[in-house]
Amino acid sequence: MRMRLLTIAGLAMSGLAVAVGAETQQAEPEPVTFLGQIIAPEQITRGEVLYAESCASCHGADLEGAPDWRRRNANGRMPAPPHDKTGHTWHHSDRQLFTITKLGVGSVVPGYESDMPAYQNILSDAEIIAVLAFIKSTWPERQRAAQAGINESEGEGS
Amino acid sequence: MDRSGAFNKPASATGNGHPRKPHRRMFLTMTGGTFIAALLPGRSAQATGYATSAITFSGQTVIVAGDSVRSVDVSTGTTVDLTTPERPVHALAIHPDRPDRLFAAPEDGGIAQSNDGGRLWHSAGNGLPDAQVTALAVAAAAPDTVYATVSGDGLWRSEDAGGTWSFVMDRPWIEEAERDVLALASVNLASGMGGIWLYAGTETGLTRVPDCFCRWQDVVAGDAMDALVAGAAPPPEAPLPEDEPVLALVSAHAAPERLFAALPSGLWASADGGVMWERKSSVQVRALAVDPMDPGHIAAATDTELKLSRDGGANWATLAAL
Ligand code: HEC
Repeated sequence: MRMRLLTIAGLAMSGLAVAVGAETQQAEPEPVTFLGQIIAPEQITRGEVLYAESCASCHGADLEGAPDWRRRNANGRMPAPPHDKTGHTWHHSDRQLFTITKLGVGSVVPGYESDMPAYQNILSDAEIIAVLAFIKSTWPERQRAAQAGINESEGEGS
Repeated sequence: MDRSGAFNKPASATGNGHPRKPHRRMFLTMTGGTFIAALLPGRSAQATGYATSAITFSGQTVIVAGDSVRSVDVSTGTTVDLTTPERPVHALAIHPDRPDRLFAAPEDGGIAQSNDGGRLWHSAGNGLPDAQVTALAVAAAAPDTVYATVSGDGLWRSEDAGGTWSFVMDRPWIEEAERDVLALASVNLASGMGGIWLYAGTETGLTRVPDCFCRWQDVVAGDAMDALVAGAAPPPEAPLPEDEPVLALVSAHAAPERLFAALPSGLWASADGGVMWERKSSVQVRALAVDPMDPGHIAAATDTELKLSRDGGANWATLAAL
């Protein structure tokens, strides 16, 4: 649903751009990539289903995150943040997102305790990539471009 | 975790800009020296030496804030009284690109702003909870972005130079509890998350958060990307001593990897963004500032003196009595 709305909005916007004569806008939205690979639309649809099954209970059906997610729970742990543009998911590179989802946050920030489950024994790598590609597909252009920049500078760094 | 306490202030303590007596209760959240002050009923803050709590470089002067706001000429030591605030100042922040724009945290809450180098002040804490602002920082790469930590509450950000504030992060969680932030420094080193770091000194040591505000974390070698690759980050080899409060913390504008921290054990310096620390001096410092033009040029306020070091904190000369 959300996907369709975004697509319609995207088409409407690019239609408008064409109407006012801006040549740089593309009619087709940029394909979603993950770790440098273009992710096929069927995979993203699969990711959307997996997201609803595996992630939505904590991160929200509309990727809106837990209520009051910037405030800790009583046990000191952070609630699930949104995965939409209001959260910080788009500040992480593809590799970081993959590692966090597969191994959990605690395994990547040493000593950090978190309620985010590790999905390594629950989802396959391909399924994790599909979910994350779905999440990326919902981001507006600004967040997608910013995250692409983070991917790039990570590539330069290593 | 009892966040509500911070909001249960008596009605007389709400609102900004009203003359009021210092709240002794609020002193309890502050540093060792002021803690003593809290235990001495009937004494004014001045009489117990609550003179200076924050300093910052502003062009050729050091602004010294506490019970009053003064400027001290760096070369001559000449001191000029700028203003006497209605409430003592607990924290101060400035950006070198806006040397006349000061943000101050007055006692008992709110933020005061001056656009003329500390003479006239107006309230700039719109939207902040009514509790003590414990630390302030201006983003190193964005002079209109200001951070404030609120006692018992968390970290707030203004992206319009103090006009409006929004909550961005809870307080750091260290050793099974949320900790008040005593000192805040925007450190212009890449976080690996599309931004830079915000470092915080707490009552139980140093921590940091990327400015996307995903999570507080220990300072480790390399940028966040390295830290995020499982097991790749070696533990810090020479951290600040554990269980000492970090009373003041600054990053050099011209060399952001150079950090200086004031602890009860003395003045500490790091040349690598806070992984390796070295104690430079046993001087007891209440407030610290580093010259934005010269990372080795440090100002430090003790109980009685404003001191300057030209060699990164090893040797000190007294510039003015406080
Ligand atoms: C049991 C609740 C729960 C479920 C289910 C869950 N998460 Fe999380 N997730 C969290 C919490 C809590 C955090 C915040 C961790 C922290 O910072 O302490 C988090 C954080 C994350 C982050 C890091 C975000 C950032 O910007 O730092 C990613 C990525 C993530 N989750 C992806 C997923 C994906 C993908 C799924 C489904 C496959 C999923 N999560 C399912 C609770 C959950």
